[in-house]
Amino acid sequence: MLDFLQAVSDGVLFGATYALIGIGFTLVFGVMHKINMAYAAASIGAAYSGLLLLEVMAGAPPAAVFACAFLAGGLLGWVVYLACFHFIPLSHPLATLMSTVGMLLLIDEVVVHATDGMPQNYPAMFDDVMLHAGEFTLRGDLLLVFGVCVAAMACLLALLYRTRLGLATRAVSQQPIAAQLCGIQVAQVNAITFVITGLLGGLAGAMIGASVGTLSPLLSGPLTVKGLVVTVIGGLGSIPGAIVAGLLVGGFENVFQLYRGVTERDLYVMLLLFAFLVFRPGGIFAPRGGRD
Amino acid sequence: MDFYFGLIQLIGVHTLLGLSAYIVLLTGQVSLAQAAFYAIGAYVSGMLTVLAEWHIVPALAVGGLAGAAAACAVGFPALRVKGLMLVIATLAFGEGVRIFFFNFDYQIAKGDIKVGPLGGEGFRQIRFFPENGWTTFDVMLFIWLFVVLVMALLWWFDRSRYGAVLRAVGEDEVAAQSVGVNLTAVKVSAMTVGGAIAGIAGCLYAHYTTHIEHASFNVLVATFAIAYPIVGGLQSVFGTLAAVVFVQGFLVEGLRELGDWRNLLFGALIVLAMNLRPQGLFWRRGA
Repeated sequence: MLDFLQAVSDGVLFGATYALIGIGFTLVFGVMHKINMAYAAASIGAAYSGLLLLEVMAGAPPAAVFACAFLAGGLLGWVVYLACFHFIPLSHPLATLMSTVGMLLLIDEVVVHATDGMPQNYPAMFDDVMLHAGEFTLRGDLLLVFGVCVAAMACLLALLYRTRLGLATRAVSQQPIAAQLCGIQVAQVNAITFVITGLLGGLAGAMIGASVGTLSPLLSGPLTVKGLVVTVIGGLGSIPGAIVAGLLVGGFENVFQLYRGVTERDLYVMLLLFAFLVFRPGGIFAPRGGRD
Repeated sequence: MDFYFGLIQLIGVHTLLGLSAYIVLLTGQVSLAQAAFYAIGAYVSGMLTVLAEWHIVPALAVGGLAGAAAACAVGFPALRVKGLMLVIATLAFGEGVRIFFFNFDYQIAKGDIKVGPLGGEGFRQIRFFPENGWTTFDVMLFIWLFVVLVMALLWWFDRSRYGAVLRAVGEDEVAAQSVGVNLTAVKVSAMTVGGAIAGIAGCLYAHYTTHIEHASFNVLVATFAIAYPIVGGLQSVFGTLAAVVFVQGFLVEGLRELGDWRNLLFGALIVLAMNLRPQGLFWRRGA
């Protein structure tokens, strides 16, 4: 029983990173009705960019590395928008799907090229802190990951629901043409959405690096799949859904890792997804009826 | 010379894989499960020739049928969701199948070695072709026989009523339904045909490489399957063939002397191609 609780709590804490990645997919989907397949790769790429700071300034504090990854994520988000979405007409959904896949391969290859394919150590904070409650422990670095992710989500929700920019973003996601008629520059809002999701992705990438301890370009494939699974379970376009689903998937997979081993773990995540597709295709928080 | 035969074999198998996604794409569905059907065809037919010692032709047929059956089974629940949800559902199915084969052990002793799939180590010794004295050239002809057959079949589909129905569903589901097209039947049948083609491609792949493992059927392979028809354009089956030659012949083999830079260029060229020709490289206007 204690093992079970321990697995759930560790999983849920790490699940906060899945939630951030899921939010990235879901925001872009909400605004453009497109999937950005390059998103998880860009997040990992941004986390790698954080390591550049250590190259320039040896012994930089981990917090500075995280901040650097955060900013690099925003920049990469903008690059992905320009390369994969800006010049391709909206009437060709397959073309943007393919261009983001091309971008995914490109980012992965740049990372492999820059690091000679070797996994890189990633700095962590509070990794020597352990909170004990009897046999039950909480890892300090995972708590930090969870805290940072929750803070980022809170900032995002404040941005979306308390600022004019957020109002414009929500307007575009509901009715792009009506939003344009009201004087909102749709292309600009789309670009800003990519920058925001990129910032979140950079942070998520850094947090994954910090909690796993190493970064490898091999992370981007599974992370893409997990992010998309979280997006669907939460309901496409729903931010609270992505948060709940991210934590759920994190806890769920860790429990199955405990009982069935790491090789079978993801099989059960896929079964969970299928259960949702069959019994609740709209996800936990199904958006109100509408397009697609 | 064998190198070129090998390349032509690879192009043949990838063309089949691309065509399996092509027919599904015609109905407007994006399926990332093609790699799963490809894996099922590869493992089923490999087990038949190695463990049951069948001839390749019946094993190929059963591999194709297994792919078709899996595709049909996926088709019904997955087609409850559309568009991007289907992309993710099929992606998850593909990953699920890959992880299943990652954990799948079924070995029997044959002589003094054990043969059969062995989890993460994969399935070695699928040696039907070498054991029966087929040369690389023979294998190449055998593969291309199926490529030509499948291309002819799909080309004929395109010119028949069935092809028109497929494209009608792809263009506008509501309009197609309002003139009496049964959407579920059309989509599931396209998925099933695609699954059969992928199963055959998997069987050919397993036998010419002689060794398959779960990593040979990952998301990247599924992405390539849909990339070929999208990059080539959905106008005809030849677009897919041209895209495979462009990707495997030019981007992968032709640029090999660039070394590391080839991989970098690869992604960048796909991004560039989609920016310049969103409808596919080989799409003619007005046709």
